[in-house]
Amino acid sequence: MTTTSTFKSEADRPLARRPWLSRWSDPDDTTLAVILLAPAAILLSVMIVYPVSRLIYTSFLDLSLTSGLPARFAGLANFRQMPDDPVFWQATWNTVLITLITVPGSLVVGFALALLANLPFQMKWPVRLSLLIPWALPLSFAGLIFGWFFHSEYGVVNDVLNRIGLPSVIWFNSPRLAFAAICLAIIWKASSFMAMIILAGLQTIPRSLYEAADVDGAGRVRRFFEITLPLLKPTIVVALIFRTITALQTFDIPYMMTGGGPGTETATLAMYIHQNTVSFLDLGYGSALAVVMFGLSMLVTALYLRMIRGSGAAS
Amino acid sequence: MSSGRISKLAGLLLACAAAGCATGASAETNLKVFVTSQGQPAIWRTLLDQYEARNPGIKVSVELGGTTSDMQAQYLNTVLTAKDSSLDVLMLDVIRPAQFAAAGWTSPIATDMSAYLRAYAEANTIDGKVVALPAFADSMFLYYRKDLLDKYGLQPPKTWDELADAAKKVADGEKNPNLQGLSFQGKAIEGAVCTFLVPYWSQGKVVTKDGKLDFDREAATKSLALWKGFADSGVAKKNIAEVATDDTRKEFQAGNVLFAVNWAYAWAMSQGAESAVSGKVGVARLPAIKGGEQATCLGGWEWGVSAFSKHQDEAKKLVEYLSSPEVSKYMAINGSLLPTYGKLYKDADVTKAVPWFADAQPIVETAKPRPVTPRYNEVSEVIRTTVNAVLAGATTPADGAAQIEARLKRIIR
Repeated sequence: MTTTSTFKSEADRPLARRPWLSRWSDPDDTTLAVILLAPAAILLSVMIVYPVSRLIYTSFLDLSLTSGLPARFAGLANFRQMPDDPVFWQATWNTVLITLITVPGSLVVGFALALLANLPFQMKWPVRLSLLIPWALPLSFAGLIFGWFFHSEYGVVNDVLNRIGLPSVIWFNSPRLAFAAICLAIIWKASSFMAMIILAGLQTIPRSLYEAADVDGAGRVRRFFEITLPLLKPTIVVALIFRTITALQTFDIPYMMTGGGPGTETATLAMYIHQNTVSFLDLGYGSALAVVMFGLSMLVTALYLRMIRGSGAAS
Repeated sequence: MSSGRISKLAGLLLACAAAGCATGASAETNLKVFVTSQGQPAIWRTLLDQYEARNPGIKVSVELGGTTSDMQAQYLNTVLTAKDSSLDVLMLDVIRPAQFAAAGWTSPIATDMSAYLRAYAEANTIDGKVVALPAFADSMFLYYRKDLLDKYGLQPPKTWDELADAAKKVADGEKNPNLQGLSFQGKAIEGAVCTFLVPYWSQGKVVTKDGKLDFDREAATKSLALWKGFADSGVAKKNIAEVATDDTRKEFQAGNVLFAVNWAYAWAMSQGAESAVSGKVGVARLPAIKGGEQATCLGGWEWGVSAFSKHQDEAKKLVEYLSSPEVSKYMAINGSLLPTYGKLYKDADVTKAVPWFADAQPIVETAKPRPVTPRYNEVSEVIRTTVNAVLAGATTPADGAAQIEARLKRIIR
């Protein structure tokens, strides 16, 4: 029983004899805790615990809807299939590469945008709004838009190249150029999210610190590295966790821009999972791939959390 | 708080979900038909209107899916995996009935298939059961600019080499930088599977024999090299890896293409008011690899009844109507969709609307089906992404052929 509810003696109020209604209207601490936590606990189990456990369970099954056979326990067979699957390696490598390029890329661009938006503008809302728009746009639209930008015949990128006297480039014919175009689109899309979080962080830094630094004769650069950056570190780490996990799950933009082409050169792990489950209906292998991606995300999150704890930045 | 009221409300919701509130109320039966956006949906709609008029109490609504065969399949896969009953009738690409039947997604239909063209009777009969009925027939053809060939005294080419020579001759004469010699499908879509198979088959090779893989790497290399050669020599445009079926149709219709590989649907639009080439178009058999036979890819779409439909009898009745000779003739005349019945190819009304249909029957009848397997989606993905990679220059034809072989070995054993 609870030790905190000492203001009324238990003997005065035996639980069993209390009317049903008053237990709801005036619950003791334990009941209250259960009532208050129940919605969250139920929601978490239904929305997260159940699907994730089901996914892990399915990853051990031989379950392909095209086989016409019932599901069969297959142990680690789905996972053993991965090392020999060239598309799995290509998609995983692309995913890691996208993460390594677009996470720092969007951090740098987002930081610059946040600093810009933090300047004392007379009218703040147009700046904030333009910062928000790329973030508010659905990912698949962004992919479609950038797909058109880089189209070899109708795209604005080649039009600009032609106007300054350079020849057209068939962006999506080259694995490298296609990949670069995808990274550019992702950085554009993700920078505004980074900028918003960093902007929020910037506004919590007390003005007095800068004024004191001014008095002490610190220049702009020094103020940035000695005040802004250290005080923003927790904010940046949180932004990085979010961004890294979404980068590991990259799907919409390459799916709409290149469909993974040329060939499978720009496919990501999330696209390959989608292809195996939705197109090939191989739910067992698709689930196993998803488990690998889940593990990858957990690993990265753990590393970040360790980083925060190590630096003592966590509150 | 009143938990009684909440439980009543929940009970009501459950009862509603179980009974299907939206449809349960009226005596009218609502059927939802999934139609491919490339299969002339507007013309099917006029037929459905007639059907509604003749069958009081039946209402039919049309749902359009993704723009390519594979996008549509992805959508249907999602709907049917969830055992969703919202779609009653499905228009399916000819490659799908085998897969849908294996998954148990279509209801068998008891009917006699002998009046249909043999290829479609076969494609829709799986393990002795009819799983779908033909909507329209199709195969790939060579569209050409009759006016330009006449101008340079050329005949429709019988081999791909002749086609390249003819394209060169016309290009040299016309000096029009916007005129492409040949347009075909190089994007990683379903059509690119046929792109690969047509010259492969032309060399007398098959992909599967008795359900086993029987792949000829040399013929595959030659097929990939043929298409890559067209892009490299300027007969086709350099960004051919970005071209999908309807791009070919639009560019041909705009007058920018001399030869085009396309399905029958492109004809109706090339003769429409918005076409720059109306009256200047010829249609012929696809050319052969030198020394090989002329081959083409069997297309066409089928009508299936969803196994999850709550209106099985009404849906089957509708499908039987949509697959009838009357409808096939109407679609041939109004939508230039090839008939599924042999006798309609010589029908006077049909040949008056689409003269070249008179010679099309032997082409459709000798068209080859793509490999039939429940795992067709994987076979398709391997072939089309490799065709795309080769045309983009990311892989050589020889490496591409080796990759197709290695990856197909894992799928078809």
